[in-house]
Amino acid sequence: MSYLEYNVKTVPSGLRKVLFVNWPLALLLAAVACLGFLMLYSVAGGRLEVWAEPQMKRFVVGMLAMFIVGFIPIWFWRNVSAVVYLGALVLLVAVELFGDVGKGAQRWLDLGPIRLQPSEMMKIALVMFLAAYYDWLDVKKVSRPLWVLIPLIFILVPTFLVLKQPDLGTAILLVAGGGIVMFAAGVSLWYFGTVLALVVALVFAVFESRGTDWQLIEDYQFKRIDTFLDPGSDPLGAGYNITQAQIALGSGGWAGKGYMQGTQSRLNFLPEKHTDFIFTTLAEEFGFVGAFSLLILYALIVGFCIFSGLTNRDRYASLLTYGIAGTFFLFFMVNMSMVTGLMPVVGVPLPLVSYGGTAMIVLLAAFGLVQSAHIHRPR
Amino acid sequence: MTRIPLRPLARILSARAKGENPDVIERENIRQRHEEMRDRSRAMAEGRLLLLCGAFLAVFGVVAAQMGFLAASEPAEPVSAQSGSAIVAQRADIVDREGRILATNLVTHSLYAQPPQMVDPVGSAEKLAAIFPDLDAERLKKDFTGKRKFLWVKKKISPEQMQLVHEIGDPGLLFGPREMRLYPNGAIASHVLGGASFGREGVRSAEVVGTAGVEKTFDTWLRDPANGGAPLQLSLDLTVQSTVEDVLYGGMKLMNAKAASAILMDVHTGEVVAMASLPDFDPNTRPAPLLKGNPGDSPLFNRAVQGVYELGSTFKVFAVAQALELGLVNPDTLVDTQSPMVWGKYRIRDFHNYGKQLTVSDVIVKSSNIGTAHIALMLGGERQQQFLKSLGLFDPTAVELAEAPTGRPLLPKRWSEISTMTISYGHGLSASPLHLAAAYATIANGGTRITPTLLKTDRRQEGERVISEGTSREILDMMRAVVSRGTASFGEVQGYSVGGKTGTADKAKPTGGYYKDKVIATFASVFPTTAPKYVLIVSLDEPVETSGDEPRRTAGWTAVPVGAEIIRRAAPLLGLRPELEQLSQAEVIRVRN
Repeated sequence: MSYLEYNVKTVPSGLRKVLFVNWPLALLLAAVACLGFLMLYSVAGGRLEVWAEPQMKRFVVGMLAMFIVGFIPIWFWRNVSAVVYLGALVLLVAVELFGDVGKGAQRWLDLGPIRLQPSEMMKIALVMFLAAYYDWLDVKKVSRPLWVLIPLIFILVPTFLVLKQPDLGTAILLVAGGGIVMFAAGVSLWYFGTVLALVVALVFAVFESRGTDWQLIEDYQFKRIDTFLDPGSDPLGAGYNITQAQIALGSGGWAGKGYMQGTQSRLNFLPEKHTDFIFTTLAEEFGFVGAFSLLILYALIVGFCIFSGLTNRDRYASLLTYGIAGTFFLFFMVNMSMVTGLMPVVGVPLPLVSYGGTAMIVLLAAFGLVQSAHIHRPR
Repeated sequence: MTRIPLRPLARILSARAKGENPDVIERENIRQRHEEMRDRSRAMAEGRLLLLCGAFLAVFGVVAAQMGFLAASEPAEPVSAQSGSAIVAQRADIVDREGRILATNLVTHSLYAQPPQMVDPVGSAEKLAAIFPDLDAERLKKDFTGKRKFLWVKKKISPEQMQLVHEIGDPGLLFGPREMRLYPNGAIASHVLGGASFGREGVRSAEVVGTAGVEKTFDTWLRDPANGGAPLQLSLDLTVQSTVEDVLYGGMKLMNAKAASAILMDVHTGEVVAMASLPDFDPNTRPAPLLKGNPGDSPLFNRAVQGVYELGSTFKVFAVAQALELGLVNPDTLVDTQSPMVWGKYRIRDFHNYGKQLTVSDVIVKSSNIGTAHIALMLGGERQQQFLKSLGLFDPTAVELAEAPTGRPLLPKRWSEISTMTISYGHGLSASPLHLAAAYATIANGGTRITPTLLKTDRRQEGERVISEGTSREILDMMRAVVSRGTASFGEVQGYSVGGKTGTADKAKPTGGYYKDKVIATFASVFPTTAPKYVLIVSLDEPVETSGDEPRRTAGWTAVPVGAEIIRRAAPLLGLRPELEQLSQAEVIRVRN
């Protein structure tokens, strides 16, 4: 059913919308963010102003953004999906041309007072665009090759741009996030099987290309893969992050060492301790109990989103909700797998907890979209 | 958005005929279709979501399990470098006291063959035999065509040879890198360094193991990666060592000796600055040990440490020193030197007849066996043994050479009175030149015990006191007199105030008794006697000096000139300033104002 066809009058208007906000979701997000503040405070050695305070300010801005986005009707967002996508794409190209270089990658765009990371925005814009595409597309055509090819192109163009930065983590998230939307939209399983086979072939090709002049990925990425396969081979070099993270987790044990007592992270053994590897601090100080609780919080957020999507009869709204939930799921799962040594290090922050401006605000704005879909659902 | 409405034409036509509005029917149709579509897509979407949730849960479970597993694990600090993967190569260098390289490593290649991979075994065998003349072509052919899967062809090959083998181009001929020990100075200090050979050998590397000398003594230290590549610093001085070996070689040839040895030692620190034993060898191509004959004749034999000889009159100093120390005599005490001295069935003679009596000083200066024997009788066997033991002459030297324990002094089975007498002038007790050097250093440094060492220490040894400083000074004066007016007059070196004692010992026959015409001539010297710094022991085996009418074998004619030449050339290298002879006071001319 399309919004053109159902009665808009059943949708709440004005301040009444506050009553229809998905409050459990909002509270869960706030809970995770607060855990993040605690960890940033601890990692900074008990100082608020280093990381925790800016992060709190951003959280407030993000929450405001969430409510603003949430109160704007979802059909507006559907209508501007393509524009948002194109805007993000333009920014990505701009970053390629004029971006700042940070830590060996060109990811930042300096817009006066704000530094933007367009690749963060692209993750959400892509989900929006694909949801709108499948809402528009006749369900019968979903699995036809031509109509599968078009979204693929829309996924791969930004992926390619992000890979050029280079940012493998975001590229993986883009492809996987787009894949989740396509999957939920009902694209034939055969395509997914084929893509999986292709991925396996690509991985093989990447390894084959090593050392030749058509090498597909950078040396440092090969090194990360090597290190992942055997972190012990180079414990003081490239394997340092992983080994130290695993030591931190192991020394945390079941109940942890207590808040502000983690040695591994406090004593600066860990690089990126306030960003990608903040989970290790949590695991060390609060142990398995703390780490698992965070995992449960995340899972609940995803669960509430999926439930909201399932009960929403509007196709765009539910696809968007699934897409954002899926991207969010990938976010924290990739980070946790990476830290616990299940995956090579690809540089994905822990959502809402890791220190980082754009990521936090963009993510909360994306949950604003979920809220909008929830508030403005057909009743 | 354009949608193609599905118009049920038949129903619309019939509706028109009845005058009804066909749009109602169309709208109803559209709704129906939409509902069907929605139901279908919902069913599918729910199935899909179930799958998705399943996948999420699975990943969730895996991560949670991993977290639990890590939480349960005991954190272990990472250890670097997996051992066992490769043989630990890189042996530490050995350097002299100034840091100059004595032994280092060189990367070469080994050549091995894998016959199953060979293209042309017979042709390759012939070409290999042409490159390496010491290889047998027939044997190689047999090996290459046989059942063997692997064989070493050459353990070490040069880059040129490697290139030639490359040019054969057979894929079954392979190279492996390996480090070999290199002694850039060739034969210099060969006996101290010893040598090294390969231990466990692999295709990728080979273990280098010390086989003799300091290479063997410090083998584990040199191979210990924990030292971080720090070299082993010896007390040797490469230039002095080289000079000593040069002069000693020349002296050995000039004096027609069959072998020679020399030791230069710091009297305060016990550091061996130079140690030579001739004939020598090149440790880069260490010869095989002799299978028959006397191992003491092998060039591998370190005469300075392993060789124990009766060192003759050089021992007289010990008897006199002890007598002085005990207060039995003073340098001017007259001692009976009536020749011959008869003791039971033995007769003791001197080289010359020195008349009825000599002062103790002159017993040393003129080297009287009889005088020394009388002094020894005053000491008695017990006290003599104790004293010689305290000089370290009863045990192998503790120097850091693998061979040192084999240099065990030979003592008489029963220390009779005649032994006491003969040993006092150096017969009946065999010791190595290094023993003698350490004992002389002890006497010369003011009387404290010196243990010889090959490691750089730069620290005075605080050994137990053996004689008093006064006795030490008296002995030094006597030794100076030996050079200035006694048996070692060829030992004078202007400006270095050399003192010393000669010793000429008849060589013992293996069958018993002594040779008449074979001696070991030894010159034990100390310089400068004014403030002793070094002892030098020079020992020649079977020297004959033939410039005179009759052949002369005594140390004064053979070992002493060689020792003097060594001091003349080595002293400046050791940084000793020649002492100018005291000029007589210039006359003061009084000028009347």
